[in-house]
Amino acid sequence: MDVIPSLDLLDGAVVRLRRGDFADRTVYGEPAAVLDMLDVPRGSRIHIVDLAGSRDGKPVALDVVRRLSSRGLRVQAGGGVRTEADVALWLDAGAERVVVGTVAAENPELLRRFPSDRIIPALDILDGGIRVAGWTQSASRSLTEVLRLVESTGATEILVTDISRDGVLGGPSFALYRQLAALTPLRIIASGGVTTRGDIVSLARLGNVSGCVVGRALLDRRISLDEARARAASPRAIPPRIIPCLDVRDGRVVKGVNFEGIRDAGDPVECAIRYEEEGADEIAVLDISATDRGHATALETVRGIAESIYIPLTVGGGVRTIDDFRALLRAGADRVAINTAAVRRPELIAECANEFGVQAVVVSCDARGRTVMIRGGKDPAGLDAVEWCRRAEELGAGEILLTSVDRDGTHFGFDIELLRAVTGAVRINVIASGGAGEPAHFAEAIESGGATAALAASLFHDRKLTIGAVKQYLANERIPVR
Amino acid sequence: MKGHDVVRPVTLIDSPVANVANIARVLRAAGASLEVTSDPLAVLRSKKVVLPGVGSFVAAMEWLRATRIDDALREIALRRTPLLGICVGHQLLFDSSDEMTTTAGLGLIRGRVSRLATSLPVPQIGWNRVRFNGAALFDGIEPDTPFYFVNSFVAADVPDEIARADYGRAFTAAVQKNNVYGVQFHPEKSSGPGLRVLRNFVWM
Repeated sequence: MDVIPSLDLLDGAVVRLRRGDFADRTVYGEPAAVLDMLDVPRGSRIHIVDLAGSRDGKPVALDVVRRLSSRGLRVQAGGGVRTEADVALWLDAGAERVVVGTVAAENPELLRRFPSDRIIPALDILDGGIRVAGWTQSASRSLTEVLRLVESTGATEILVTDISRDGVLGGPSFALYRQLAALTPLRIIASGGVTTRGDIVSLARLGNVSGCVVGRALLDRRISLDEARARAASPRAIPPRIIPCLDVRDGRVVKGVNFEGIRDAGDPVECAIRYEEEGADEIAVLDISATDRGHATALETVRGIAESIYIPLTVGGGVRTIDDFRALLRAGADRVAINTAAVRRPELIAECANEFGVQAVVVSCDARGRTVMIRGGKDPAGLDAVEWCRRAEELGAGEILLTSVDRDGTHFGFDIELLRAVTGAVRINVIASGGAGEPAHFAEAIESGGATAALAASLFHDRKLTIGAVKQYLANERIPVR
Repeated sequence: MKGHDVVRPVTLIDSPVANVANIARVLRAAGASLEVTSDPLAVLRSKKVVLPGVGSFVAAMEWLRATRIDDALREIALRRTPLLGICVGHQLLFDSSDEMTTTAGLGLIRGRVSRLATSLPVPQIGWNRVRFNGAALFDGIEPDTPFYFVNSFVAADVPDEIARADYGRAFTAAVQKNNVYGVQFHPEKSSGPGLRVLRNFVWM
């Protein structure tokens, strides 16, 4: 999948309009300078939106395209293309391809007048229908009719914008692209919603997406082009992990809703063995004992589990000191999660990373909304979750376990907004936790949330869902699984 | 019990910079009769040696030097006693590591260990598919089987590679030179396939 930098042009400069208002614009500078700033190499495809052209209904930024093409960039230009003559003007200016929007839906015949590799039909889609004329009207033809017509012109690639997602924090419209895979053999250039590295990976995994247009996220330096392209090149590098969690109190597995209302759910060793058989990629144990005696029992529980499984074990809960950390590793944990103690004394993260290696240190962040909560989700810590996770990474955390306290135990789904905020801000792996209720929630946490692992407790304990069923669902969605 | 027919003697280096208990348990499950030791003389008497390690290459190497186990390992390698390094134990087999400044390793296998050069999250955590040639260490294992990795550093492009995996770019998942073996993944945490790798080593 190619990552295509996108520039909105107005009056010879790269700009961004706020809500399409030509008077309210952010100016990034002269196009060539902006492309240099973004480290766009020669030979790259770039996407140009001629805003004045769209407004006036005829190509305006021809000179810019001429200059960029002569610098060895492969320009795909659009905005204001209404007629055959407009397409010819862009091509004469050096554009490699011309993006044809409204006309493609209303007059697909125009597409036939040019070689199919010089035209990119663009479809703006809202709720399964095509919108035209600046998104203001429905097209006269249905989506499937237009797709058939476009296919018949010999086109192989279309640019698709999901208008309903424009400016929404949820990321690209993976569901729409997946739906299109079933409707058409056309390859998709995805437009809109890309804000994180995870979005790039998730788009590349879909298989039918051959390119994605990225504007703001590059301009605002949320991601670099180099990195985005590297991520797009290996989208299936490592399968996301599915991690059943055993909440353990006084040697028994328990489960509460919203961290409260606890009930017994069985023997930890038996649960762990069953999970390994079901295909768990890792086991997590969270000690929620309230007393020192309870914590001492938890150490025994960890030992019992570690002796019974052949997959990794991550343990958290009640870890206050480096000695607690060490004791859990000695009991057989591979990695240890620290939470309240790290919030109270962040240096603990660095100390543990130095002593045991970053790979052993998981920082567990419980959040209500975006506020960090401590003491088992009871007290606000007065910290923003994103800031805290970024700090934890700097101090040496090898991974973040991010739990939404609001969602925990509800089965309503993971908090995608929280996940996106954190996975967009840190470079280490993030485990999604809190709220899993069905297989689609895991897919969403990974695909939209950018999580590289997802954890659930009660869902698996209550046998509402097996790990195998979750993985089957993910595999069907083209998300890699072990 | 048929004595030596059902178990094989293996020496496990009792490094403080390792999760020795986990590896010991799985080696026993693989049929090893274990001596867990930090005595270089015991290492010299070994039939087979496993060198575990997690965390810091520098700390692990310092400990090997302080205990003189480094020399013992070089000696048994010369005698062709089978040696298996796991994770940081695998990294220790190479000439050097760039973990902090450049630190010399055991120098049993040519190559250098450096930080994963990738835009993917580091450390790498999870089950990565391993491609191998016909090396005996992977007998009975399906091609492209996933093994569990957790690491920030790797060796890559080394001449004695017998298995590789990709994380942004290709890296060395396992090496073999004569009777010296190393695996970057954690066989003791890689479920059935990991157990099989250890069994292959124990019984080779």
